[in-house]
Amino acid sequence: MSASSGTALASAFPQRTPQTGFASRLVQGRQKYLISAVCVALSTVMLLPLVASVLASLKSTQEAAAVPPTYFPHSLSIDSYERLWNYQAGLPTYFSNSLGAALLTILFCLALTVPAGYGLAKFRIPGKEALFVVLLLGLIVPYQALLTPMFFFFVQLNLHNSLLGLAIIHTAIQLPFSIYVMRNAFEAVPRELEEAAIMDGCNSFEVLLHICLPAVVPAMITVSLFAFITSWNELLAALVIMNKDSSFTLPLILTAARQQTSIGGTDWGMLQAGITISIIPCMAFYLLLQKYYMAGFLSGAVK
Amino acid sequence: MSLQIKICCRSALAGLIALVALPAIAEDLQMWERSGGNASMVDALVAAWNAKNPDRTIKLTYIPHTEMVPKIAQAIATGDVPDLMGMDLIYGPQFEAAGQLVDITDKIKDWPELKTASPGHVAVSTYDGKLYGVPLYADVSALFYNKDLFRKAGLDPEKPPTSLAEIRGYADKITALGGDVKGYFLPGNCAGCNIFTVGPLMWASGATIEPKDANEEPLSGDGVKEVLQWARDMIKAGNVHEDARAETGETFHLRFGSGKIGMMGTGNFNITLAKEQNPSMDFGIALLPGVKGGEVSSFAGGDIVTIPNGSKRVDDAVDFMKFLLSDETQVEVYAKMLNMTTRGDMAENKYFQAEPKVQDVAKAIAVAKTPYTLKFFELINSPQGPWLQMLQRAYYEDTDLDTIISDTKAQMKAIAAE
Amino acid sequence: MHTGASKYIGLLYVTPALAFVLVFTAYPLGQMVWMSLHNWSLIAPKKYVGAGNFIKAWNDPQFWTSLEFTLKYTALITPILMISGYLIALLTAENRPLRQITRSIVFAPVVIGLGASSLLWYWLFSYDFGLINRVLIDVGVIAKPIVWFGADADRSMWAVVVSIVWKVLGFGTILFVAAIHAVPGEIGEAAMVDGASYWQRVRLITLPLTAKTILLVTLVSVIGSLLAFDQFYIMTAGQPRNLTSTSVFLIYLNSFPYRKLGYGAALSLILAGVILVCTVLQMLTSRRSHA
Repeated sequence: MSASSGTALASAFPQRTPQTGFASRLVQGRQKYLISAVCVALSTVMLLPLVASVLASLKSTQEAAAVPPTYFPHSLSIDSYERLWNYQAGLPTYFSNSLGAALLTILFCLALTVPAGYGLAKFRIPGKEALFVVLLLGLIVPYQALLTPMFFFFVQLNLHNSLLGLAIIHTAIQLPFSIYVMRNAFEAVPRELEEAAIMDGCNSFEVLLHICLPAVVPAMITVSLFAFITSWNELLAALVIMNKDSSFTLPLILTAARQQTSIGGTDWGMLQAGITISIIPCMAFYLLLQKYYMAGFLSGAVK
Repeated sequence: MSLQIKICCRSALAGLIALVALPAIAEDLQMWERSGGNASMVDALVAAWNAKNPDRTIKLTYIPHTEMVPKIAQAIATGDVPDLMGMDLIYGPQFEAAGQLVDITDKIKDWPELKTASPGHVAVSTYDGKLYGVPLYADVSALFYNKDLFRKAGLDPEKPPTSLAEIRGYADKITALGGDVKGYFLPGNCAGCNIFTVGPLMWASGATIEPKDANEEPLSGDGVKEVLQWARDMIKAGNVHEDARAETGETFHLRFGSGKIGMMGTGNFNITLAKEQNPSMDFGIALLPGVKGGEVSSFAGGDIVTIPNGSKRVDDAVDFMKFLLSDETQVEVYAKMLNMTTRGDMAENKYFQAEPKVQDVAKAIAVAKTPYTLKFFELINSPQGPWLQMLQRAYYEDTDLDTIISDTKAQMKAIAAE
Repeated sequence: MHTGASKYIGLLYVTPALAFVLVFTAYPLGQMVWMSLHNWSLIAPKKYVGAGNFIKAWNDPQFWTSLEFTLKYTALITPILMISGYLIALLTAENRPLRQITRSIVFAPVVIGLGASSLLWYWLFSYDFGLINRVLIDVGVIAKPIVWFGADADRSMWAVVVSIVWKVLGFGTILFVAAIHAVPGEIGEAAMVDGASYWQRVRLITLPLTAKTILLVTLVSVIGSLLAFDQFYIMTAGQPRNLTSTSVFLIYLNSFPYRKLGYGAALSLILAGVILVCTVLQMLTSRRSHA
């Protein structure tokens, strides 16, 4: 299940007071402790793989390749990170390529889907449902097969081997989901606010900018988060589009790390370092903005 | 409004990034090479060239090797090709046949260095009498054996096995030592490892494997069945570690150096690796034998360097090729790193003399073959292809071997005919 | 709602997205349809074969193997995800600190990439280097390490299932929590007054009232599983013997290493058709259950 599929929803309002009545009556007394224990156990299990990976990345090279593996590093070392840093064109290059593509993808997604969501939600466009279906077409076609025709197309436009081209492909992948989210978000904006603004003499663009936009910020953040995740981690399109080492992105390097030690063996330490580096921006994005889109998820309506 | 500022900043960033993506300076040569090969060797060669040619340095890009062939095909189809490229030598004929490489026969045919270059490499660089490339680096396969384990098992460490039957006998004794020690190693999930180390066993038994084209019969000769039977028996007798079954090639080069395997087919690269992994291990090198004694064979692998159609720097690329074959490079780059020299006449050099094991393995070059076929990947190297499927069925199932072989023949013929 | 001439203003807002989709999705899709009618290997010229590729798919045992595997994988992982997700949602529905933290932690794997997650689990399940074998041996469950990938197709599949469940559980959970929150509290209280037990309440009240979400999440999960690729590309590469090759992996194989682009395109169209059928079936079932 890819991160880009699924529904998301955003609420125009800050989180309503949750319906705790029903939920809290569900369990009585002692059971609460049991539930807490289960929660802690569950959280531990979910976190273990991530913790294991980070610890493994901090092992010395030899320890990382040890058989059988150790649980905790005997001594902390940043060998693996050093190797990753200096790998071929260097980690900074790959990191900034990935970052660039991801930011461009966010930009394009927002620029396209905010107006589109607004239009679809707030206007009685002829053939609206058909339009919506066309826009969501990308969801059921595996994009892997579309890559080759797109590559040829891009060569004609001289977009191959460029972050711009890669961002366009990522945007195309992310678009259906983003439009769905934005449309739902705009639909949740109450009509009264709009009508008040119109009566005050605003045109549609001003309504969008001043009334709707602030209300759909949580949705925009959700869209941004998932656009970032998709673009940051995407492998195949980057592989097809990029020809030069200097334009490679981070996922390509992770793939290469699997064949890194001479004659095709896996450099486990460097792989873990790479995985950790891949995870950090996503986690950072998530933790910093959790408030916004969690609110969106939890208090929005599912359509 | 903060949103507008954000958008402005993003546009500026986008512009900057688009600028960054502009193509590199015109003087650099762009070279592709597959990952998962002998990267350190290629890095060293490119570095040596760059040191001598600062005005036309080579910018190397490693392409994940599973994607190399389609990427090259894509590049050629769209005209956006690198100036030169290293490729697994086995794909040479395919690209040559499709007319995708630059014919450099006239430029290089009179080079004296070419006459002593590895015959396998030169063969696959040739198509229809025309030359398209030169060796980039060479790997050969041989039988490595652990002298320490030989001694423990009561075998003479100076007398490596000379036939498959002897290997079986020795392996049984070594496995009997117990612990985690096994007599042999057969990779279970790696097509390339197998053609590299089991293919020669079949060749040495008088069999052929790949069909050159749709008309040739694949897998001909009793040797095929005999080797498969031998392998199946080896595994049934417990002479191979259980996890060999999952070996995809990613840890293949670490096996021998673990010191827990009595004998195994592997490549010259394993000399340095094993010494690093296990400095106190005493080991020797013999050539891969066939069913009966007296015949040996080897797989000449590695990469060749070629020039894709559409390259704008053909003359510079040819100069690089001459550089690779020059005496100085052969000794001071290849031999110094204890890699095979790609010219047979350069095997006598001071570095090899200091390291007799390398000389032993260099003997394999003389008996080494390189498969010549237009569909090597689909037939042999593909993880989903008939070669690996045949081996997996032979190694791990009880199905009748004749059935397996005839099934595989049919599959290979179908692929060759496409 | 705006009316009249502003209808076309609405269209104007949608135009950039529409133009983008037409150029960068519909056009390549059209090319792909065109490709499916040809044989093309990139370095040789195209050859028209009409419905040849589709017939080839019908007769190709690998096509059916991949389809079966994809359907099997989907059929196995979807209930696991739905049931676990729902149970965890029930567990953490309350808005108390510990529950909220648990929710956040369960959701965390959703935001890391599928590639990173697959590599991570590939390492954990590794025969020699992986911690899972180490733990199982230390705890005494097994004596020798297990070969997770490459030997047995089912075992490989279960390993992948574990990694994917870990990764996407949080997504369904959050949506289920939202749906549970939307159930009015009074109904539950009334039921309790009537003497209903906790699980009776869940079965008779919560489930029906959150049915719409359940069906939606199921639908999305099914589509995602039918399109599964990255995890198999990284963890099993279709091995052993192409038995764990999903439909999209087969498409990838034909479009890239094998360079049978026409065939790959035909397979994509067939798969899109299968997904469409599954989607329609699911929506029909959901509509009927609401009626």
